[in-house]
Amino acid sequence: MSADAHPAAGTRLRVGTGTAVLAVLSIQLVAFAAAVAAGYPGAYAGFAILSAGALAAWRNRGAFGTLAALLGTTLLVALGLPLLLLVARQDPTLVAEMAGDPAVQQALYLSIYAPLLAAFASVGLGVPLALLLARGFPGQQLVESLVDLPLVVPHSVAGLAVLFGFGQGGAFPQFEVLQTMTGMVLAMTFVSAPFAVNAAREAFESVPTRVEWAARTLGANRWETFRRVTAPLAWRGVLTGGVLSWARAVSEFGAVAIVAYSVEFFYLPEGQTVSAQHAPVFIYNAYLSAGLEESGAVATLLLALSAAIFLLVRTVAYDDEEGWP
Amino acid sequence: MTLEIDVRAAFTAAGADRFEVRADLSVPDGETLVVLGPSGSGKSLLLETVAGFHDHEGTISLAGRDLTDAPPEDRGLGFVFQDYALFPHATVRENVAFGGRYHDIRDPDDLLAEFGVSDLADRYPPTLSGGERQWVALARALAVRPDAFLLDEPLSALDVPTRQTLREVLTDVLADETAVYVTHNRTTARALADRVAVIRDGDIVQIGTPETVFERPESPFVARFTGANCLELDDGALAVSGGRLTFETEGVSAGTHLAIRPEHVELDPESPDFSAPVERVLHEEGRCLLALDVAGQGLDAYAPAPPKEKEVEVTLPHDRVTVLSE
Repeated sequence: MSADAHPAAGTRLRVGTGTAVLAVLSIQLVAFAAAVAAGYPGAYAGFAILSAGALAAWRNRGAFGTLAALLGTTLLVALGLPLLLLVARQDPTLVAEMAGDPAVQQALYLSIYAPLLAAFASVGLGVPLALLLARGFPGQQLVESLVDLPLVVPHSVAGLAVLFGFGQGGAFPQFEVLQTMTGMVLAMTFVSAPFAVNAAREAFESVPTRVEWAARTLGANRWETFRRVTAPLAWRGVLTGGVLSWARAVSEFGAVAIVAYSVEFFYLPEGQTVSAQHAPVFIYNAYLSAGLEESGAVATLLLALSAAIFLLVRTVAYDDEEGWP
Repeated sequence: MTLEIDVRAAFTAAGADRFEVRADLSVPDGETLVVLGPSGSGKSLLLETVAGFHDHEGTISLAGRDLTDAPPEDRGLGFVFQDYALFPHATVRENVAFGGRYHDIRDPDDLLAEFGVSDLADRYPPTLSGGERQWVALARALAVRPDAFLLDEPLSALDVPTRQTLREVLTDVLADETAVYVTHNRTTARALADRVAVIRDGDIVQIGTPETVFERPESPFVARFTGANCLELDDGALAVSGGRLTFETEGVSAGTHLAIRPEHVELDPESPDFSAPVERVLHEEGRCLLALDVAGQGLDAYAPAPPKEKEVEVTLPHDRVTVLSE
C-alpha cells in the first residue's frame, strides 16, 4: 500500500512509500550522527523511540498501534544501537591497520571458508533428510527432535560432544579432529545443520502435493518430478537454509574454541598452508590481550564482511524479477 | 479403453477415524462415469487411488492392461485437478508442453488456440484467473493424449458463467473419451454423465444412467443428494392435510419414504390429491421454486409464476413417485 492510499495521510501529504521510507531513514541517520557527534549517543535512543511513536500517531494507527510502535522500537534500539555504536566508535585508522594485518586476513578468510564447508555439508546431507521429513514417515517426530537437539545444547557442550564423539578414543580413531580443519567443520556443522534442514523442510512442504502429482500424471517419474518441479519451487528456501547455517557457523565461538582453537589450512591468497584462528576466537583473544580497541576493529571487519556476503546472496536469490512472482 | 476399478483403500488422518474407500466400477470405452457425492465422501481419494497416489488392495486395469502396481507416470491416465495444480514457475506454454519429454504430445500452441487462450502462452499461472488456469490445466492433460481421464471437481472453484462455458467444452472433449469425473454438483453430473455413481462414506451406493439415479433413487440419501423430495411414509401412506395418501409399495418390503423430483410435482391439477400451504417462494430464472408444507414435511415444487393463494393444490403423479425403504 502506498502512503497516499491511506485517506488520512493523503489529506496531509502525498508521498510514495519508497520516498517516505528513505526520508525516515535519512532523518534517523542524521539524528544518530548528531547524537554521536554531540557525545550523547543515548539521546538517539529516545529520539528513535519517540519518532516511531509520532509516526504511528501521524498515520492514524490509534493508541494500540502507537504503543506497539513504541515498544517495538525499544527492542529494535536495544538490538541495533550496540551494533551501530560498535561501527561508529571505531578509529578508521586502526580498522585499516587491522585490515592490512595478515593474521587478521587469515582469520577472516578462515571464518568465511570453514563455515562455507560446514554449510555445504549441512545442505548436502540435510536436503535429503528435509525431503523425507516433508513427505512424512513413522517416527518422524523423534527424528525432528534429534535435528533440533543442537539448538538447545550449549555450544561448549557441543564442542565437548564433538571431541568425545570423533576425537581420541571416539567413534572414528582414524580422524584427527582436535585442532584440525576437520574438527572445526564438524563443530560448525553440529551447530548449524538444524537451520539448513528446517529451512529446506519448510521449502519442500510449501510445494503443493498436487502440483507434483500433476507432473507424475504427465509422465515424469519421481526423480524427474523432483528435478523439474520440486527443486525449482524449493531452491530459494534451501538456499536460505544454507545462508542461515553459514551465518550460524560464522558466529560460532564455544564449540570451535574447544575443538579447533587454532587450525592449519591452505591459505589461497598466499598459496601456502598457514595456521590461524576462527575470527570470533581471534576477536576474543584480541580482547583479552590487546583490549577493546583492537578487538572492536576486527569485529567491525567481520561484521562488514558477513553483512556484505549476506546481502550479496539475498540480492542474487531474491531480486529476480524475471519469471513467476 | 475400458477402465476396470476394483479397489479398497484405507486412510488414516491425524485425529480422525480410519476411513475406507471401496469401489468396484467398470467404465466402458468412451463412457464418462460421474462419481457424485458430498464433501468427505471419499470421491477424491478414490480418484487419487486410481491414479496411483495411494496404497490399496484390489486391482485396476485399463484396456486389459493391469495398472495395479504401475507408477502414476506409466498408467496412461490424465488427471485434471480442482485447484488446477499448474507449475507456477513455468509459462502456460511450458506447462502444456511439460509431458513432451515423456510422450508424443499434441502441439501446445494448437491446443491453446483450440481453447481460444493463445494470448496466455507466455504468461505465468499465478497471473491467470481461475477460469484461465483451468483451460490451461485441461490443455496440459489433453496434450499427452492419455488413454483415460480422471477429473477431480475441475469446475467447482469457478464462477458460474465460466463454469457453464467450461462444462460445454468438457462435454465435447470427453464425448468419446473414457473418463471418471468426480463432483458434488448434481447439475454438472447430469450434464456430463453417461452413468452416475453416487458415493457415500467411501462406498458406491447406487450406479446407473443419470435418468435412473435422478428419477429412481434407491435410497433416501440418493434421493436427497440428487435433489429429489424425500418424504417419510407412515405404513405405506403419506400424511397430508385432511387425510392420507396411499402408494403402491410393490417390490418394496416396507416402504418408509417416497421420492419425487420437484419438477414432477403437479400444481393446481384438475383432480388434486391434497392442498398444501406455501412456506417460501424462491425466484429462479423463468420459474419459481415453492417450498410447501405437507403435514409438517417439506415438499419442493416448481411453478411458472408465484402463486396467488397462500395454499396450492398438489398432485403427486404415481408414475413419478419412487417408494423407498431405508
